[in-house]
Amino acid sequence: MGLIQVSNFKKSFGDKEVHKGVTFDVRPGECLGLVGGSGTGKSVLLRSLIGLEKPDSGEIFFEGKSIHDLSERELYSVRKKMAYVFQGGALFDSMTVFDNMAYPLREHTNLGEKEIQQKILSLLEDFGLSGNDQIFPGSLSGGMQKRVGLARSIILGPEVILYDEPTAGLDPFNTRKIQDLILKMKNKGVTSILVTHDMPVAFAVCDRIAMLMDGKIKAIGTIEEIEAQDHSLIGRFAQGEST
Amino acid sequence: MTTPFVLFLQEMFLFLGGISALTKEVSKELFRKRWGWTLIAEQIFQIGHRSLPLVMITAISTGMVMALQFGLGLERFGGTLYVPRIVTVSILREMGPVFTALMVAARVGAGIASEIGSMVVTQQVDAIRAMGTSPIQKIVFPRVIACLISLPLLVAIANFIGFFGGMIIGVTELGLDPQFYMIKSLTNLSFGDYLSGFGKAIFFGLFISIPSCYYGLNVKEGTKGVGIATTKAVVASSILVLVGDFFLTKLFWMIEKWV
Repeated sequence: MGLIQVSNFKKSFGDKEVHKGVTFDVRPGECLGLVGGSGTGKSVLLRSLIGLEKPDSGEIFFEGKSIHDLSERELYSVRKKMAYVFQGGALFDSMTVFDNMAYPLREHTNLGEKEIQQKILSLLEDFGLSGNDQIFPGSLSGGMQKRVGLARSIILGPEVILYDEPTAGLDPFNTRKIQDLILKMKNKGVTSILVTHDMPVAFAVCDRIAMLMDGKIKAIGTIEEIEAQDHSLIGRFAQGEST
Repeated sequence: MTTPFVLFLQEMFLFLGGISALTKEVSKELFRKRWGWTLIAEQIFQIGHRSLPLVMITAISTGMVMALQFGLGLERFGGTLYVPRIVTVSILREMGPVFTALMVAARVGAGIASEIGSMVVTQQVDAIRAMGTSPIQKIVFPRVIACLISLPLLVAIANFIGFFGGMIIGVTELGLDPQFYMIKSLTNLSFGDYLSGFGKAIFFGLFISIPSCYYGLNVKEGTKGVGIATTKAVVASSILVLVGDFFLTKLFWMIEKWV
């Protein structure tokens, strides 16, 4: 049984029906890539998994429980287990990097300031961000902001990480760094969903890839299955051919 | 076809529903053990302390203009001696709280809506939610409490400065003795004069903070939406202060009669 199950998910914005019955599941410890053209609703789907958006109909289950009917307060416990890595980092611009990273620790743990400091400085070193703890996010490069955003998301040790285009707009060096960090989390057994347009990264880190098209999951398969098929939908998408 | 009037009514109902829901959410936060005094203190500094120069300039101008107008008007009937009492009561009951609230609505209302709106646009509000915390608790509650604390304090300062401004004109333009002005102003004041002014200030704190937070949290269409929300926040807060003033005056008048 999947850790996350999405069943017949439907969502519209005004007259535009974006999702017309999306169904898939994510197994524990798995990294699922979610790909598709721009505007197909990948990010909306990802946001819905953590309760930031409500589906019009259909169900989303996490650990067997439907999150559809949970109130905002009831969702807090789900969100402590699931981390969301925003495309632009979504760092608090009025706080330093240190305070951004300390935010979840101060809110959800009883750690003292000294322990928080040790934890943050060690994590910053792991992410190649040493010496940037007292800088405000506005002074960081896009790649650094993404890395801080990722570090902040995983600081509580989540069971699931939802990545929203973590490598978009990054140079090859920073893309590689983020890719390595995602692999590192995967190797620790963290379940993840990766929304991306960056197919080499998707093929490098994902166990399975699902393709969202015309409001539905049109294709899903393991990397081996996709690579074995000639002219598969995902394969053609990856090659930039017409789908 | 949807007419502008129907659209206006729709927006009005959405606004009233939205601020009622937000007020309910903020009320729930009152019963929380940890109020987050650091965030509240930060907002008191932003909302209260930083509004001081604006409020002081407005108050002294109001006091001086009122003393001058009443002085010139009453001089014809030999009523200059009543100027201290009239000016002081007007400032305490109406001019102090209303002008302070309007100035704060313009400065702070715009600031709150644009700051929260920008946080929505840059997904910072989503990040607060995604990390299992509440934007009501972290953003709205500190601003509402800071407004509720700051407004009465600003009104108290505005009253004092306004009274002082009136006295300057009373002495320099109307030829009144400073001691006479002070005695006449303060001796006949009732508890109701203070209650009405400060009571209104607390309500005005709500009338400014809740709509401003509401419009900030409901920003759509990116940065353009931030501008629209800021304008709407100032307009809604100012209208609520002015319309609410009438009903509050009536309410406190009834309380005074009852007490």
